[in-house]
This record gives sequence, C-alpha cells and structure tokens, in this order.
Amino acid sequence: MKKVSSWVWGAASLVYAFLYLPLAIVVVFSFNDSALNAEWVGFTFKWYQMLLHDDVMLEAALHTLLIGLVTCVVSTVLGTLAGFAMYKWRLRLLPALVLTPIAIPEILMGVSLLIFFVMLNMTLGLVSITLSHIAFCIGFVAIVVRSRLQGMDESLVEAARDLGAGPVTAFRAITLPLIMPGIIAGALMAFTLSIDDFVISFFTAGVGSNTLPLEIYSRVKVPMKLNPEVNAISSLLMLLTLSLILIVSKVAPSALRSE
Amino acid sequence: MKSKSLAKWLISGPPLLYLVLFFAIPSLIMAFAAFRFPGDYGGLLPLTAANPDTGATELLINFGNWRDFLTLENFQRFFEEPIYFELFVKSFWYAGLTTVICIVLAYPLAWLIARSPKKTRDLLVLLVILPFWSNFLIRVYAWMIILGPQSYFSRSLNYLLGLVGIEPVSLLFSQFAVIVGLVYVHLPFMVLPLYANLEKHDMALLDAAQDLGANAWQRFWKVTWPLSLPGVWAGTALVFIPALGMFAIPDLLGGTNSMMIGNLIKQQYLDSRDWPFGSVLSIMLTLTVLLLAALAGWAGSRGKDKR
Amino acid sequence: MKKLLLLLALVASPAFADDVLHLFNWNNAVSPETIKRFEARCKCTVKESYFGSMEEALAKLTGGAQGFDVIGPSNYGIPPLAKQGLLQPLDKKKLPNFKHLDPAFTDTALDRGNTYSVPYDFTVTLVGYNANRLKALGINAASWAVVFDPKVLAKIKGKVTVLDDPREVIAAALRYNGHSANSTDPAHLSQAVATIRAARPYWAAFNSQSYIKELTLGNIWVALGYSNDLYQAKLDAEAAKRPFTIGYSLQREGNGMTADSFVIHKRAPRPDLAHRFIDFMLEGKNAAEITNNIGAGNPNVAARPFIAKSLLAIPVINPDHVTASRLEQLSDLDAATRRAWNRAWTEIKMGR
Repeated sequence: MKKVSSWVWGAASLVYAFLYLPLAIVVVFSFNDSALNAEWVGFTFKWYQMLLHDDVMLEAALHTLLIGLVTCVVSTVLGTLAGFAMYKWRLRLLPALVLTPIAIPEILMGVSLLIFFVMLNMTLGLVSITLSHIAFCIGFVAIVVRSRLQGMDESLVEAARDLGAGPVTAFRAITLPLIMPGIIAGALMAFTLSIDDFVISFFTAGVGSNTLPLEIYSRVKVPMKLNPEVNAISSLLMLLTLSLILIVSKVAPSALRSE
Repeated sequence: MKSKSLAKWLISGPPLLYLVLFFAIPSLIMAFAAFRFPGDYGGLLPLTAANPDTGATELLINFGNWRDFLTLENFQRFFEEPIYFELFVKSFWYAGLTTVICIVLAYPLAWLIARSPKKTRDLLVLLVILPFWSNFLIRVYAWMIILGPQSYFSRSLNYLLGLVGIEPVSLLFSQFAVIVGLVYVHLPFMVLPLYANLEKHDMALLDAAQDLGANAWQRFWKVTWPLSLPGVWAGTALVFIPALGMFAIPDLLGGTNSMMIGNLIKQQYLDSRDWPFGSVLSIMLTLTVLLLAALAGWAGSRGKDKR
Repeated sequence: MKKLLLLLALVASPAFADDVLHLFNWNNAVSPETIKRFEARCKCTVKESYFGSMEEALAKLTGGAQGFDVIGPSNYGIPPLAKQGLLQPLDKKKLPNFKHLDPAFTDTALDRGNTYSVPYDFTVTLVGYNANRLKALGINAASWAVVFDPKVLAKIKGKVTVLDDPREVIAAALRYNGHSANSTDPAHLSQAVATIRAARPYWAAFNSQSYIKELTLGNIWVALGYSNDLYQAKLDAEAAKRPFTIGYSLQREGNGMTADSFVIHKRAPRPDLAHRFIDFMLEGKNAAEITNNIGAGNPNVAARPFIAKSLLAIPVINPDHVTASRLEQLSDLDAATRRAWNRAWTEIKMGR
C-alpha cells in the first residue's frame, strides 16, 4: 500500500483539530467549577453528580439513544435497499422521494407529520418520533450507498452468478461486503441526525416523551440550568455511544469490518 | 423477465412504501396548504366544521364558494416581491460557499482515512462523527465562545491585524461566523460519502500513472478526482441541500443581516402564523432543489453513459 | 443489568399510574420542589413537557397535539388557543384561591372574565445593560433612546442586541415614538420601522437565546430583553464574580408586559386534576416560588409575604402604581396586522 504523503497528513490533522476544537471546550467545561462557561475557574465533578440525580435529563438521554438506535437500523436497511434500487434501475419516483425529505424545510415536515399522526388518531410519543426520524434519514443512507455502488465492478457479481450463485447469495457474498463502507457511513449519519434532531422531534413528541435536544432547548431560557450539566451529558453521551460501538464491533467484528 | 421485475419491486418497494406513507402523504397535506387561506388565529382557515345541531363534521367548501377557501394569492405574493427572490439567491450563495469549503476540507481527511490500514480505518471514521454526538446547541455555543471577542483566537487575530495596521474585527455575529458554523455542522456529511467513495479506488491506477511520469498533482487531477466524482456529488447533495434550509446557525451566530431562507420559512410558521405562505416558500425551495438535482443528473448522464 | 432492563421496561410501557397530570409549560417556571409538594398532596404524578418558544408551542397545539392537561402559555397565546376551540372554560367553583389574584391582572382584554386562564407570573420587556460600561460612557438607560437613537448608539456600536421577535421589538419602537405597543395603525408601524432601520446598523445581532450569556461575559453592553432573563444575567454575573454589574431598568416611554397563565386543554384527560393543580398554584407560598425561582413578577397578592425581600425591592418585579401604569400588556394582533409586521420584519432582517 502506498504511503500517504505528509502534506495530506498535515491537512487532515488540521481538519481533525477543527472538528475537535469546540468539543474540547464542551468536555473541559463539563469539569469547570463555574456555571458561566467563560473562563476556567477550577476542577469539579459536581455537574456529573448533579446529572446523576437529574432523572428528567437521564430519561431524555435514554429516549434519545433508543430512538437513535432504532432509526439507525431501520433507515439503514431501507436506505440501502433504496440506494441499490436507484443504482440498478432507472426509477422515477424513488429518487425524487429520497431527495425531497432532505430538501424540504424541517419545520414543514414536522408540522405535516404532526397533522398526519393526529389524523390517524395515533398517540404521539417515542413511536411517532422514531417513524418521523426514519423518514428523513432514509435519503442520507440511500445517497451514500448509491454513490458507493456507482462505478463498481460488476464482473465479480456476474462471475458469482455464473458459478451458480442465486441473486440473493451473490448480493450477500459479493455486493454487500463491497458496499459495506457506504452502509456504515450512512448508518453513522442516520444515527447522528436522529440524536441531534430538534424541530421534527418537537412537533411529533407526545406527553412524557422528551428527547435530549428537546430538554436542552427548553433550558435555553434557564441559563443556570443549561450549560455545565448539558456539557456533562454531552460528554457522557459521546463516551457511551463510542463504547457501545467498540463493544459491538468486538462482539460482531465480521458484520462491521469492511470487506 | 418476470423475476427481474419482481426483484425490482421487492427491493424498491419497502423504502418506497415507507416514504410515501410517512413522508409524501403528510407533506402533501401541507403542500396543499399553499393554496389555502391562513386561519384568523393561526393554522389554516378550516374547510370543515362541526354542525352545531348534530355535532357531525360537515364540509364547508363546495362548488359555489371554493374561491373563499382556495387561492393563488400566496404564490402571487412570492413572485411579486423581489425580496424573496433575493433571499433565495443569498441562501444559495451561502450554501454554495459552505459546500465548496466542505469539499476542500473533507478531501484530505477522507483520503487519509481511505488509505489508512484497515485496523485504524473504522476508528478514524468514528472520530469524524464523534463530535456530532454531543448536542447541536452545545457545539454552537462552544463556537460562540471561540469566536467571541474575549477568546484567545479573536484576540490573537486582532493582535496580528493590528500589526499590519488593520482595524480590529468582530468575528461573532457576522457572516463569517455563519459560514464557519455552516461548514462545521455539515462537514461530516461531506467526509463520509467521500470516504465511502475513495475507499474503493484501486491504488494500482495511481501507481501506473506514476510510472508513466505523472506528478502528484496530475495523478490527483487526472485519476483520483474524476473517479471520486460520485462521492463528491453525494456529499454535495447532503451538504448543500440541508445548508440551504438552515435557520439555527444564522439565528445564533449571525449578525443583523444574516437571514437565510430557512429563517423566513420558520418566521411564517411561528411569528406570523402564516402557514400558507410558509408552504409556498417551502414548495419553491424544494422545487428549485429538485430541479437542480435533475439538471445535475442530466448533465452527469450526458457526460458519460451510465455504467 | 436488572436495573437497566427495568428502566427499559419502564420507558417502553406507558406509565401504569392512574393519576397522572400532564403539564406543557416553560421549563423551570414551576420549580421541582413545588411539583413534588403537589404530587404529595394529590397522590398523583406530574409529567412535564416543555417549550422554549410560545409560537412553537402554539404551532404544535394548532397542529392538533393532545394529551396535555394544563398548559402555561403567555397571555397573547390565549386568544388563538381559545378561538380555535382548544381550551375549556374554567370551573371557578373549583378554584377558591382565585381571589388571591391582583385585580390588575384579571379580566384583561386577552381573556375577559378569566373564562379560560389564571395568570401566574409576568415579565416586562426592557433594557438590560452593563452598568460599568454605560456609566463610563455617560449613557442612561432610562429611555428607549439607548436602543433606538443613533446618536446614543454611536458610542456603543456593535455592543447591542435586541430580541429576535418582531412583536417585541416593534412594540418597543412604537412606545419610543409615543404610540401604544398594540397600535395597528399602518402610519405608526412605518414610523416604528423607520426608527428600527436607523438603529439597526449599530446593533450586533437579533438575539433571543444567548444574550443573557453575552451580557454576562461582557461581549455586549446593552440588550433589549425580558426582565426574568436579565435578572438571571445579573445573578450569573455576581456568581461568576465578573468585574462589572448587570443592571436592568424600565424605560420612561413605557414597556410592554406579558403575563403567563395556566389554561386547561379542551380534551384534557384529567380536568379534575388540572383544576386542583391550578388552585394549588394560586396558594401564596406556591405562587411565590415562581418569582423566587425565575425572578418574574407575580400577580398573586397572597404570594407577597413569601417572596424574597431582595426581589420585592426590584421595581420590575414589584411595580408601584406609577410604574404599573406605564406597563402595557401586549395583545394578540389580528392576521392582517401580523402579516404587515412580518413583511416589515423580513425587510429589516434583510438589511433594507
């Protein structure tokens, strides 16, 4: 394998630094002994202690993770199917339907879904939030998967078929591993979009189904309650999801590893 | 032949069904709102009412009075006022600039990840997205600290500007801050598709190019870049389109003239409770995006025959 | 692991408790301690959902969201909710503590006879400032000129933010020009818009979310904002031992005032509990906790003895009669006026 040149290394490191600069502030200030995140005052664990007793926040975090995981799995499956179909056949409706949820203003989508769920007489809650999240995440997965498929070498699939593999077997043995990096990228985006969504969640949430963004936004008006504890939960959430993924990838390495 | 169309339906059916049910149908309700009147107290002028005697729901609209319920006035308003067109142009400019900067920043990162040993590759991908598992608002607040006048960053920048004799600048609440924010929140959506594309490139091609005497720039421009175009396009779609409708970043980081089309749309649904006009703006925005996508797709398929 | 499973089971299944009151309100308006006492009294559970913006909550309720018993909107949100048939009339027999309310806050134009609503706090839109900076510059915040007069603004250019809210900013400009904050006269509107246009180049941003923090950090010196937010900024600055103090004061041209009230949703699952909750919140001690908690004014006379002395000394929280006469409750605008204001606001924010 060719070595990556040093200037690529340099540029990439700078971009990583750009990505982590605000994050560093979040993590550092979660240990800062001041409610006002202006300057470093002293080290403390008190925001984490406060968080442990904040049932509302913890419940919201749990909701967010649940919704995020379900959204991630379902929209990855549906998005991969859509991406594959768009690559394989010249479709009309599906590409438009995949792109429109990304283009449409989220506030319109939120209000529409609310009216729709009310018309169906559905109780708003975790289910309605999840259904809505999946709807806007499918497109992100589909677009990445299709772009990964574009320019793919079809000869391998054909060879497998010639050797007597059925279309399903050929897909599982050849195509799926080949597009796995695209699927993983799409899944990560879907999870990220879901756990960070405010607008659509606000409109489709019911009574007692607060998610983390909803909880945090409602605290904007209460600055003393807003910052340090939210920094703490943000830091913890990142740690938790990271370890979740690392554990899963250890337990099921073949499923996640590319190729 | 039959099994082929069966496969087509089996594969495209589930996502299609889901999107029709949970996206197209609900959105059409609100798209239809563009042709209706706003209610006096928010929402829409109702088309039905409960009969006071029976309590049954009755349709108010009929062939005689439909003009009292349906209108093109909202569209007329959009086309008559140049200010809305200007706002569209401005938003396209912001989103376009954001996309270009994202491509420039994402490329080296995606390339590095794609060329890393398999063991570290997944971890590096994860590191790109990890900061985005903290909360959006919290990240933007962190940027407000970084760009604020008292931060080390602002102070050292203004010190440097002072050395060359330039007036100190205020970074927060400016168009610069809006662009920084837009780039930051959308960057992973460029890096990931690009990585997914670059990861499959055959390095033998580059080696061959090198053997033929191509320098680094030529190898990039003649081999890597054209091959990576599907990834660039995917990333562009996932950055440009969401950036276009963004309202939270201009709200938080912008100054007194950083309004984007997303802010205007939000204002219709909230402050002015004018849902029909909000729907008109949303429809125009969505149609423009779809038109652009269709043009790009057409240009792409003309450029070279598909597959 | 068992605990985790239990937690998951709890989340996945709807609450089994029969007596649950669902509250949809501003976060933190009612303190957790108050809620706990109510839960003990009624032997029920209170589940809270929050909103951070009145208009968002209105849009959500207009869209048909249900399941809430008690909602805590700003008063200008009551007419739209009532006219859309989303509220149920209160049963005053179940609210014996209603008599505690100051008559100045009952029977207002927004809800005649308090058919639907019971006020629980009020906030004033006014000017908050960095006292040390303004003193050094010789600027007095007792007039709206500090936000609207270019001659004054020239000294604090780029250090001023105003709320990102057409209703509030245009209302303030109307008062500055000597009109009612509720004026629907197009001539008054264009005068107000001209005032805002002249001042806009000196403002740093339209900001409703982070101005408290920016003020506390010292990044901005003057903010057109809400009294309870600015009270918070003042406390924050003291707690963080900033080298300056945050002040806030009323403007002599008069200020807009917004009360918040409890209302009961038309299809509230538990109107009985809802009435009990509202009456509970009308008890002096419980009502006082709202003011002690967020620094908002209190319409409840029985609450006075329980409000912290330091808070009662602040005129914005405890206005005397002269001050009170200069506060004007913001009305809900009719659709045509709202459309006109919205257009003007778009142009202002486009930098025209």
